[in-house]
Amino acid sequence: MTDTQTSLHRAATEKPPFYRDATVVKWLVQITTLAVTLFAIAFLVREAGDSLQAKSIQTGFGFLEVDPAISLGEGIDTDPATGGRALWVGMVNTIRMAAAGIFLATILGTLIGIGRLSSNWLVAKLASGFIEYMRNIPLLVHIILFFVTIAVVFPDFGENVDPITGEVSQGPWNGVFHVSNKGFSVPRVHIDNGFYQWLIIVAIGSVLGRWVSKRRQALQDRTGQETYPVLSALGVIAVFAAVGWFIHPIFGFVGDAIFAPIRDLIDGTPQGPVQILLSVAAGVVAALWIRRFLAARRTPGGAAKLTDDDWFRVIFAGIAATIACVVILVLWPGLSSWLINSSRDFFDVLANKFGDGRGSVGDDPPFSVSMPDIEKRGNFANMGPSGLNLTQGFAAVFFGVVLYTAAFIAEIVRGGILAVPKGQTEAAEAIGLRRSTMLRRVILPQAFRVSLPPLGNQYLNLTKNTSLAIAVGYTDVVQVGQTIFNQTGRSLEVFIIWMLFYLACSLTISVVVNFFNVRLKIVER
Amino acid sequence: MSFSDATAAVSDELAARDDIIVCDGIDKWYGDFQALKGVSANIKEQEVVVVLGPSGSGKSTWIRCINRLEQHQSGRIIVDGVELTNDTRNIEKIRSEVGMVFQQFNLFPHLSVVDNISLAPIWVRKRPRAEAERQARELLERVGIPEQAEKFPGQLSGGQQQRVAIARALAMEPRIMLFDEPTSALDPEMIKEVLDVMKELALGGMTMMVVTHEMGFAREVADRIIFMESGEIVEAGTPEHFFTNPQEDRTKLFLSQIL
Repeated sequence: MTDTQTSLHRAATEKPPFYRDATVVKWLVQITTLAVTLFAIAFLVREAGDSLQAKSIQTGFGFLEVDPAISLGEGIDTDPATGGRALWVGMVNTIRMAAAGIFLATILGTLIGIGRLSSNWLVAKLASGFIEYMRNIPLLVHIILFFVTIAVVFPDFGENVDPITGEVSQGPWNGVFHVSNKGFSVPRVHIDNGFYQWLIIVAIGSVLGRWVSKRRQALQDRTGQETYPVLSALGVIAVFAAVGWFIHPIFGFVGDAIFAPIRDLIDGTPQGPVQILLSVAAGVVAALWIRRFLAARRTPGGAAKLTDDDWFRVIFAGIAATIACVVILVLWPGLSSWLINSSRDFFDVLANKFGDGRGSVGDDPPFSVSMPDIEKRGNFANMGPSGLNLTQGFAAVFFGVVLYTAAFIAEIVRGGILAVPKGQTEAAEAIGLRRSTMLRRVILPQAFRVSLPPLGNQYLNLTKNTSLAIAVGYTDVVQVGQTIFNQTGRSLEVFIIWMLFYLACSLTISVVVNFFNVRLKIVER
Repeated sequence: MSFSDATAAVSDELAARDDIIVCDGIDKWYGDFQALKGVSANIKEQEVVVVLGPSGSGKSTWIRCINRLEQHQSGRIIVDGVELTNDTRNIEKIRSEVGMVFQQFNLFPHLSVVDNISLAPIWVRKRPRAEAERQARELLERVGIPEQAEKFPGQLSGGQQQRVAIARALAMEPRIMLFDEPTSALDPEMIKEVLDVMKELALGGMTMMVVTHEMGFAREVADRIIFMESGEIVEAGTPEHFFTNPQEDRTKLFLSQIL
């Protein structure tokens, strides 16, 4: 053996000093990062606590239980009894705005995106003009512009006062349809007491309708004759709905017979066993996760060879499970009782909604209609549960975020369509598909797959942008929160609630978008 | 018999049949560049025509004009008695009579093999789904890959994808099939499986126009070979004539380079 070979051999077997050992270095970095993060959090919390104390600012979530003494412009409850309820109204308003906005912006954006690619010169130019106008002006300007436009263009609320009776009227169809600078109002259909019993009958009808549609479809496939499977199913459901309107009280027993016993069962559950059950569940979840993790890294040769990173994750899962157990058993026993109470309340509500005592058809129909009601002059008449209102604030924010986001979605859709290879169009043309069929069955499905991730971003943007509602006084969660912390001084707490709420919204959207992203992935080998 | 007259260069037996495609002096420009210069040729029913030529000679452009993937600017194209004009009804009618197979397969990647094949019968011919799927499976049987029915195009080999593409074109029950270099994107060992399917089709009496570089296929299957260069038909004739006794210098040069 030559000298070179021996020295090479020695270099290979020699253990490096610890600061060059890849394993040690990796662990050191992990632990240091964890320590620095924890330290930073502890530091910030302490500093915040100290300075709040120094300025004698009080903290605490007590305001959620206290009457905020405010009334809200619109929402499920315009006169909330507690601060928590007020914030909840704001959250519902935000979700309402975001959900309706995402729906409309997607449709509008897709149409405009297709329009911009149209071979029709006018359509293409109109689409690109719209896009350039919307996306080059800040959203806040759009919202305020809509707000002001509604105020200027539509007649003053309460303009027409009957000189004799003093009654306020607002056209064009008094008592039914109102238009004013405070917004629009039409009659609203809403759920009444008999709804849930009626729903049971409709559900039975749906199951039957599905069965009928399957049979009709099978018949159509066999004979080639048009049998209208979807129409027949809808017909069956309609018949059930119509008959159910008159006979729904017969299902009044469901609440007492099914949901009430469940409620009582939960009510009788002691807290201790639930705590133990929850901590065991935490342990089981961690164990299952670790098992799956190891299984995924198992090689055909046998047991997995774990990297340091893998070990870190496995240990972290164990620690997380332990912490969860400690929290459930020792630190926060209230969690278990809260779970028991809230699920009891849930079934209590069900028992109530499905319960009898809502017997008569005439008194408790499934739906009823409430008319726009103009009472107070100088105030938007349709506050609270009366007509279906499109208020000035809602309309301004809604059209603002929808049109603004639609412009961006249109560009995403256009990009998605252009990303579909030209050969796809040619193949679709060559087999004789019409343009609309080609678009629906070949181009858009592929364009949609490309567009989905950036589309998800736009949905997040839209949801977050609804917070600009504060500029026009629409009672979204930010507007309500700001009113509350102005009154109570609990700004930090309101900020935490805002952040958690928007985080929850964003995560929900991400989960939904990712679900479709994975499901629609084009299958490759 | 003049060999530069593409229409006349057919055997007597073929000449007795009806024309199914009539091309009369087609011109096609891309901007200043003239891709087709007065191309005239009539294709007979159940005839197999192979179009040869160096790349850029306009052979693909020509057959793409026949189902309006490219628009010719002057001259007439009549397919099965229907003239190709701006009338969308005529275009639709011709496209449903003419199947086309592309070099790059152009299968729809988001649809399964069966859905790829049954798409047009369901949406254009308005067939019931079950019937269209049954027909799709029969066609897969015919091209020799019934076991791939539920897979997606991305999971198939190139040769299998091209056979699915042929089945997709056949699903519309066309009277004419156009092949635009169907084997050029394939690995050598997969070329044969596609050519076999095409031979099968030719034997079954399908009218076919094939742009290809497969000389073996041309010699064996073609009724007529048309040689193009710079957007013009240079020479046409039966395979025998074309390969053994070419008349034009440009044809001889081409053959010497590839054979």
